[in-house]
Parts: sequence; C-alpha cells; structure tokens
Amino acid sequence: MKKLILIIVIFWGSYSLLSAQEDIKQQVKELTNTVDSLENITKPGKSKFLLRGYAHAGLEITDNESTFEGGSFNPIFLYKQSDRLLFESELEFELEDRQLSIGLEYANFSYLLTKSVTLRLGKMLLPFGIFVDRMHPAWINKFSSKPLGVGHGGILPTSDIGVELSGGAYLGNSKINYSAYVINGPRLNEGDDEPEEAGQLHFDNFPDNNNNKMIGGRLGFLPLSNSSLELGFSGMYGKVGSRGTEYSDIGAFLYAIDLSYVQSLSFMSSVLSVKAQYSGVNVDQASYIDTEDTLNTGATYTFNNTSTTYFVEGALRPALLNNNFFRNLEFAVRYSELDTPEGSMWDSKLNQWELGLNYWLDWRTVFKFTYRITQGEAGHDEGGESPIGNAFLFHWAIGF
Amino acid sequence: MKKLILVNGLAALLVLLAITFFSNCATSNVAMNKSGAQLWGENCVRCHNTPSPETFSDVEWDVAVMHMRVRANLTDEEAKKITDFLKTAN
Ligand code: HEC
Repeated sequence: MKKLILIIVIFWGSYSLLSAQEDIKQQVKELTNTVDSLENITKPGKSKFLLRGYAHAGLEITDNESTFEGGSFNPIFLYKQSDRLLFESELEFELEDRQLSIGLEYANFSYLLTKSVTLRLGKMLLPFGIFVDRMHPAWINKFSSKPLGVGHGGILPTSDIGVELSGGAYLGNSKINYSAYVINGPRLNEGDDEPEEAGQLHFDNFPDNNNNKMIGGRLGFLPLSNSSLELGFSGMYGKVGSRGTEYSDIGAFLYAIDLSYVQSLSFMSSVLSVKAQYSGVNVDQASYIDTEDTLNTGATYTFNNTSTTYFVEGALRPALLNNNFFRNLEFAVRYSELDTPEGSMWDSKLNQWELGLNYWLDWRTVFKFTYRITQGEAGHDEGGESPIGNAFLFHWAIGF
Repeated sequence: MKKLILVNGLAALLVLLAITFFSNCATSNVAMNKSGAQLWGENCVRCHNTPSPETFSDVEWDVAVMHMRVRANLTDEEAKKITDFLKTAN
C-alpha cells in the first residue's frame, strides 16, 4: 500500500515538474519574442540623425543706449549615413531691424576616404586660425562679443564653398592635423558699390568672380602627449579681382598663427585655457577711384593694402572644486587689436579689452557678463555706429 | 615672393600629408595605450566643456562623435575608443 502511495506521489511529482518546465519554457519563449520585437522597434538603422544647435540673446548697455538683443537661434542638423559619410548643416535665425533673417552657416558632407584623410564638400566653416570653426558658437565663446578682426567689421574669412581634405595622425607622442582646401575665395571690393570700403575683401560666399580659385590650409601640431597644447599655421592664397577688369590680377595672401593651451591645474583646482590667434591680410596694391574728388577728374588713390589683427584670451574655471557654486564660475580676459591700411578709407587702429565673468548651468548653458573697452581710431563709421567706447554685455547662451 | 611662399607652403603640406599617411604604422605606444576615458578627458576640453557620457544615447553619441572627429581632426582610433567609452558609460 505504502509503495503504491509512493509511486503515485513520485509519478504526480514528476508530472507537475515536467508541466512546470513546459510552462517556464513557454514563458521564456514569450519573453524572447517580446524582447525581439522591442529590439526591432529600438534597433538603430544604419542612417542616424541628430538635431542639435544653440541659441543666445542678451542685454547690451553701451555709452548711448541699452537694449535687449534678440541674439540668434541656430539649429544644427547632422546625418550619419554610414560609418564613412556624415552630413552637417547649420542654419542661423536672427532678428535684424525687426526682420527675420535666415543664414546658411554651413552645409557640407564629409566622407572618410581613409583613416587619416577625410574629404569634405560644400559650404563649410574655414579652418583658418581657430576662432571661426572652433570658438565662435555662443556657448563656446567665453565672451558676449567677438574679438576685433573677426565677425562684424572684421577682416577674416568665415565660411566658403569648396572642397577640403583633412585628417589627423600621431607622430611619436605628438599629434598633427591638417586641412587643405580649394574654395571660391573672397572678392575684392573694387570701389563700385561701397567706395568707402575699396580695397577690402568680402567673404560673403559669392559665386567666384574669376576663374582662379583660392587655395588654403591649416597645419596643427600637438607636441605634448596629453594634447593640451596646439600650434596652428594657416594660409590662403588666390586672385580676388574680377575677371575682365583692371583688378583681374590682384591677388591676396592671408595667414594666421594660432595657439591653444588647455590644462587642469590641480594645485588651483582649476582648468586653465589660453587661446591666441594672429592673422594678416595682404592684398596686392591697386588704385581705386577717389570719390572725394568732386570735380570728377577720375583721380585715383592707392595705399599699401596690409591689415593685421590678433587676440589673446585666458580663462580660469575652478572646475575641480567640490563647491557647486564656485566650480561653475569662470573668469576670462581677452585683448584684441585690429590694424587696417593707412591711406584707405577704412583705416582704423583699434584695441579692445574684454573682461568676463561666466556662470555655467551645465556644460553648454552659460550666463556671460562681459565688460568691454574699445579704444583707438576708426576710419569710417559703420552705419554711424562707432566701435569705440565702453559696453556692458550680459548674454545667455544655451546649446542643445 | 608670394608665389614662393605658396610653393613652399604647398610643398610643406604635401610632405606632411605623406607623413600622415605613413605615420599610421608608427602610432606611438602612448597613444595606443590610452583608454577611451582618457582620450575623452584629454580631448573634448580643448575646445569646450566636456560632456558627460549621460548626455546622449548610444545612437546620438555615434553621430556626435563622428561630427567631432571631423571638426577636431581626431584620429580613427581616438574616435572609436571615445565612442565606445561614451556608449558604455552613459
Ligand atoms: C577642435 C575643437 C573641438 C574638440 C576637440 C571637440 N569639440 Fe565638440 N564641438 C566643437 C564645436 C566648434 C562645436 C559646435 C559645432 C557647431 O556649432 O558648428 C562642438 C559641438 C559639440 C557637441 C554638440 C553637438 C554637435 O555635434 O554640434 C557635442 C555633443 C560635442 N561637441 C562633443 C564633443 C566631444 C565628446 C568631444 C571629445 C571627444 C569634443 N566635442 C571635442 C569643437 C570641438
């Protein structure tokens, strides 16, 4: 009898064990199916897209006025089509005199030809010096304004349309990087439209005014093994006068030397950043119609068309402190100079100090307080606005 | 004179291009031995504050680091190591 009960119990036990196993198997199968279908939903395709960008605005108080500035909103579109192909584009929405103006900052695609050669085609920020392609976005620039020589009223190129080869590699413990490009290039103001700017170069991404393309490049050296120091040398050469005019042979040579040093200083619990750029613009000498000659005798004037500009900036952020408030503070100072040709109608000798105190909300959101002092002599005023004077600028910039 | 500067500049550029091509084989040990975390710590701060890995998802990092690879002329190896690090630490 006992045996019988035992057999029944064993039989019953193994049966329920087996059916439980079946159950578990079934559940595992169901779970696997769910995970599979979830993976299918979230599985990234080969083509990946990222919509980012930044925006900034601020309050500007000068000697004569105080106004909130609309700043700009710059969406950035990035499409990674494959491991080799990337498209990048940035638009800029800005208010100018109550009108919305839209700019195409860049739109180009990069193709990784080999591990150390990337081909880029389209409209691009030019790696000429370091300000334009590395420092100009409002959440990167440590000041509410730009140094003299770049940006509004500046003499340096920003973007252009063309083809570039670039890359980076190790040389022992040092690193080098290079960029070489062919672009439409700037256009010489020959004095027809804005005679007060005759002899200046315009970098407005014009279609080429001659068959001669501008060629240029930058070489960067990072001699220290921790990459904290970079020295860069940039150059650009080409004809800038219009085909079929007396200016057709006028060429321009532009150069820039830049330095970047960013290092953690543990004894000060801070990150130190030093950036500098010296650049020159040499345009072949030419004669321009003298518009101040009211007798219309066709008199001309000429000048040695050489301009230089530079900036040096330093910033210290006690980012390694434990205190939340203090480690988000940043102190910054920048000095810049701009020297344009004597004898031209846009002759100026300007220098500028910018003192900055910044507060970082996160890595891309910042409140920037800048006090700016601009001194010197400015040739012609830009639309009645003299760059000379003091200003207090408070800007907020956010990257997303 | 300007032509001379140009020719010299171009020659220098070509030489450096050549060096770049061949230097792949001569990648130093220091560079090879750096981890993704170290490369992330050393490189991003050269231009802006360093984003923490949690900022983005894996897919977003794929695109953002490729953008930075081109903008900052990072090497292939650096970009790969940094992407891997950001994707495991986010
Ligand atoms: C050579 C300078 C430089 C270095 C080095 C650099 N960045 Fe950037 N980074 C930029 C600039 C400039 C922008 C802004 C792009 C723009 O507005 O056109 C940017 C933007 C970004 C953005 C915003 C999204 C985007 O792609 O525009 C992210 C994320 C980013 N960087 C991450 C990194 C990481 C991670 C590193 C380190 C591996 C790094 N960056 C290294 C210059 C640099």
